[in-house]
Amino acid sequence: MSMSRRLLLKTSAAGGALAAFAGGFSDTGRKLVKGAWAGDKPDHAISGNAPAPEFRVDPATGDLVPTPGQIVANVACLGCTTLCGVRVRVDVAKNKVLRVAGNPYSPLSTDPFLPYGTPIKESFKSLSRLDEKGLNGRSTACGRGNAALEMLTSPFRVATPMKRVGPRGSGQWEPIAFDRLVEEIAEGGDLFGEGPVPGLRALRDLKTPIDPAAPELGPKVNQVALLSSVNDGREPFVRRFFNQALGTINFVGHGSYCGGAYRSGSGAVFGDAKKMPHAKPDLQNAEFVLFIGTAPSNAGNPFKRQAMLLAKGRTDGVLNYVVVDPVLTNADNRAAAERSNWIPIRPGTDGALVMGMMRWMFENGRIDANYLSQPNGKAAEAAGEAGWCNATHLVIRQAGHPRDGRMLRASDLGWVTLDEKERYGAKDAFVVLDPAGTPVAHDALMGPAALFHDGTVATPAGDVAVKTGLTLLREEAMRLDLRGYADACGIPADVIAGLAQEFTSHGKKAAANAHGGMMAGNGFYNAFGVVTLNTLIGNLNWKGGTIFGGGRFPDEQDGPRYRLASFPGQVKPSGTAISRPVPYEKSSEFKAKKEAGKPYPAKAPWYPNAPQLTTEYLTSGVVDGYPYPLKALFLWNSNPVYGIPGVRAQVEAKLRDPKALPLIVAIDPFINESTAFADYIVPDTVLYETWGWASPWAGVPTKTSTARWPVVTPRTDTLPDGRHVQMESFLIALAKRLGLPGFGPDAIADMDGRTYPLERPEDWYLRGGANIAWLGKQPVPDATDEDIALSGVARVLPALQATLKEEEWRKVAFVLARGGRYQNQSEGFEGDKATHRFKDGLLVYNEAVGAAKSSVTGKRWTGTAAWTPPAFADGTPMRQVHRVEDWPFQLVSSKSVLVSAYTIAASRLRHLHPENPVGINAEDARRLGIATGDRIRIATPGGAELATAIVRHGVMPGVLAVEHGFGHKEFGARPHVIGGHSQPAVPEIGAGVNINDLGLPDPTRPGASVWLDPIAGTAVRQGLPAKLERVAAAV
Amino acid sequence: MDRSRRNFCLGAGAATIGAAMPAAAAPGDATPGRRDGDPAHRWAMVVDVGKCVGCQACTVACIMENDVPENSFRTIVSTYEVTERGKAGSYMLPRLCNHCEDPPCIPVCPTGATFQRRDGIVVVDNTVCVGCAYCVQACPYDARFINHETQTADKCTFCVHRVEAGLLPACVETCVGGARVFGDLNDPDSAVSTLVREESPKVLKPEQGTRPRVFYVGLDPRFQGKVDGTPTLWRPSGQSHAEKEHA
Repeated sequence: MSMSRRLLLKTSAAGGALAAFAGGFSDTGRKLVKGAWAGDKPDHAISGNAPAPEFRVDPATGDLVPTPGQIVANVACLGCTTLCGVRVRVDVAKNKVLRVAGNPYSPLSTDPFLPYGTPIKESFKSLSRLDEKGLNGRSTACGRGNAALEMLTSPFRVATPMKRVGPRGSGQWEPIAFDRLVEEIAEGGDLFGEGPVPGLRALRDLKTPIDPAAPELGPKVNQVALLSSVNDGREPFVRRFFNQALGTINFVGHGSYCGGAYRSGSGAVFGDAKKMPHAKPDLQNAEFVLFIGTAPSNAGNPFKRQAMLLAKGRTDGVLNYVVVDPVLTNADNRAAAERSNWIPIRPGTDGALVMGMMRWMFENGRIDANYLSQPNGKAAEAAGEAGWCNATHLVIRQAGHPRDGRMLRASDLGWVTLDEKERYGAKDAFVVLDPAGTPVAHDALMGPAALFHDGTVATPAGDVAVKTGLTLLREEAMRLDLRGYADACGIPADVIAGLAQEFTSHGKKAAANAHGGMMAGNGFYNAFGVVTLNTLIGNLNWKGGTIFGGGRFPDEQDGPRYRLASFPGQVKPSGTAISRPVPYEKSSEFKAKKEAGKPYPAKAPWYPNAPQLTTEYLTSGVVDGYPYPLKALFLWNSNPVYGIPGVRAQVEAKLRDPKALPLIVAIDPFINESTAFADYIVPDTVLYETWGWASPWAGVPTKTSTARWPVVTPRTDTLPDGRHVQMESFLIALAKRLGLPGFGPDAIADMDGRTYPLERPEDWYLRGGANIAWLGKQPVPDATDEDIALSGVARVLPALQATLKEEEWRKVAFVLARGGRYQNQSEGFEGDKATHRFKDGLLVYNEAVGAAKSSVTGKRWTGTAAWTPPAFADGTPMRQVHRVEDWPFQLVSSKSVLVSAYTIAASRLRHLHPENPVGINAEDARRLGIATGDRIRIATPGGAELATAIVRHGVMPGVLAVEHGFGHKEFGARPHVIGGHSQPAVPEIGAGVNINDLGLPDPTRPGASVWLDPIAGTAVRQGLPAKLERVAAAV
Repeated sequence: MDRSRRNFCLGAGAATIGAAMPAAAAPGDATPGRRDGDPAHRWAMVVDVGKCVGCQACTVACIMENDVPENSFRTIVSTYEVTERGKAGSYMLPRLCNHCEDPPCIPVCPTGATFQRRDGIVVVDNTVCVGCAYCVQACPYDARFINHETQTADKCTFCVHRVEAGLLPACVETCVGGARVFGDLNDPDSAVSTLVREESPKVLKPEQGTRPRVFYVGLDPRFQGKVDGTPTLWRPSGQSHAEKEHA
């Protein structure tokens, strides 16, 4: 366990036992003679340096006695993107977080979680030995969540605003006064002696088009972009500045290089390509779950909730599950025996597996016909279903027909007459066939419609060839036989059939789920297929099936107490975002090229079926200036250079060049691989220093909003008025300097029109808290004095009382004391159905996809789930370019149990798991003479890296498995010099390898690019072609 | 599971060896040499390995709670990749001091620093310990180490300071999978007593005769001693690869 122990054992094993004991004796003798402490004297004879427990609970009486000097406060973790509710134990005098565990009110940390009305005192008792309550009531933090507090006191934190003094990326900085920082960024000038830099005042041009020949790109202000990471509960504040006050359209998160392909595929089923809704298995009640490219209880989101429900389900509960992935992870547990299974699969072939399963389901009548045949929500409800889909809706499939690929509509049949604007819109019904085979409007039939049809329908314009959506899906599924699918994905045909049979043997109490494993060159269709499996068994909104989640109590909306969504003078951003999430066919470029006779290809891909994509901002936006060049880039806790596969090689030279991109401003507590190229770094607050209102992505059946509030004093610089330097104070100062609307005095209105200032973070977040407190069926109760005292909220009480109205502050205190607002667990389901349901129809056939064309090839996409091999932007399969003969391996990424992209500086995690050896299958290793611990060189068409090998049976043959979170070049891996002082040198932070440094460009695209899924525009890191060689033996 | 299940079932088929469980706990105060603690209790832990998710929350919570020095661990979850009939799977095994009924660390201590409380918790009095490390070598569970800051023997205390405050050990409080259960074997209604009575849990290295009071529910007998598997946590504590796994 310890190093010394290991050394002793090693010595013994080597035959030096006598020497070891002799050494022991002499050491003992020395210490006895010395008669004094050989080392540091700890605080306590038995418990060492353990601090006093946070409180005592008398096991007999239940009396609770808090420990003076400590508080236990419920806030949010930020060790990963789950943002769990946690309870943070603070030594107040030392301004030090002692330990972090779970918030017992939070469904992200606890099951069952406490009823919301529970007094804080009782919540503490629920965690104790009293009547063994703490065993069932335990509320947890994971390994990473336990260690994340190290980020607060990290020697690599940036506490003072900094301006670069050397060339970009040189690691040389000088502190800059806050006012001067704001002035320089607002006004610009010759800031670095390298020539003029435009400031935000000049860049905020809301009128002049970027390109008069292409007015659809919007005004010049769009040349300012903000790259965010995850909504940490503060994104609405940042959007208020950039979208609504400054006015740029370019504000984009990290999804396109995280799990965006899954979200896009899910969005295709849920009918929303921008918000990309997704459901999660109801792990509490499911009997069988198929996880494809996602690893519950290893990582993922919501990590702990999935892990605790999975652990419970596979032991005490009824859950059986299978994880399909190229890499074995902690999602499996052999002690759970046949309850848990791992099936290896080739990277990027999940679509073959799921289309094979669908084929088996169609051939064996194992689809839920009762669900699939209901043409609308009312019919579905009458049929006892919890939702509906468009399986029966007719799609025009007639080559050369102007509406080929589009849904047949009531107006096509002359049933309604609508003007141009409304035709083919929501008022123009779809068409289904009733049991007699007669066409009827989808919303007029109160019973089942024909599931399959391949024929014609008579319209006033003549007969039109049509098929139902399900017919089109079945055609896709029947394209290969099971053996063909097995050959593609490496899973035997009888296993594919077995999975399909098992998946369809539990009624609605089965589910399929995916996530980051979808980030392949065909991820959109792979994910579309996984989610379509759920559609075929009609499990959405059912207990034990997939559930949409309860959502949250939104803070940033207009009301019920304050108008936080709107303000006088707000800008509605317009134009085209850098990543072109709109149809190419509406662009001036298309029109010009069409006139010239060759409308395709576009200069670079457009993504009408995707949200904004960070994956195009640095390549297209910075290097190629397409569709227009960026002039100022803000990075808020964002690290695309580390996170986007292949991007560093494509953009590093231009990021270093101020002429290519005149201004880079980072708002971040650390120097990461991207902010290292910044001109300025504005320090941000970390973890428990920060306000915010976070919420889970999915997977919680009840409404959930998690509070973030400062339980320690931020370690960033203090301004003269007592505020701290952080994102909010910076943006407020910048807005005030620029005279932007929505900030400063009178910026926030209540529902009666009275106005209040937005001068401090509390002005925003506490009023958001008032909105949260008043949402729901009725406002939350008032916090008691005891709640306020025990929860640590007393610390922020002066701010509550100064900011909020008399009738508000105790209610907001009630919410803060409980670390958020949580709907009670008992309200998650109504009988067998979820309380919060997705009400719209799911799409078996997605018209927006099926009628869209590739902006590169001009060819139409398939509108249903489909199996298609990983390909580049012009449709060329990856393996035609990078052949197996040259690149026999494929790299895949898996999430780490312990390390996330920004926690590498936490030494406690690093000591436990110091690097990420690359997994190689035992048979491949034997063939290549590679042993565990050997140094290997991995090369891809995009780069080469040295790594350490670990030989495993739990890796698919032909696959190299890379754990995410290592291979850092910054965060302390390289010491920066700030004001003449060098940061400490901790080269261990750079240990291991980052798969994203091995990502590929797209060889079919001109200009700068990284390999992206052609529809979702999401980064490809699953299935990168690679080769490897052994470099040296294990050390 | 129906027939098709076999198509993807690993079929572990692990034969369960008859659990060699001790009878009900002996009353602590009956044992000479024990001191401190309340003999009315006999603290113990039961780990349901099927619930462990290998997240190391216990490992890090212990470090934070007890200010364990860097690169040392009072508890850790050994994480293995195991292969059976050509198929691979994951196995998680939380390890800590077993707070044995017959602890081999105590008789070898030359100063009496290591002792057992009357509630069964084995502790080290760091004001008496001279750091000779005999106990470190005597422990068959590799559960002790020399604290490089204090130069004294260090190990899991079952978070005795928390237990005495009516709380749970840090590792139990924060166990994400709910694998770790802590309680009083002298209380027949406690969760640990019930699990020991009804689930026939195993102990590690029963042949050593140490009579551990850390029990494992669902433990494959092949994990009771030296484990034949590929450790996937990778070199914790700065150990070289050859040394990195537990005995």
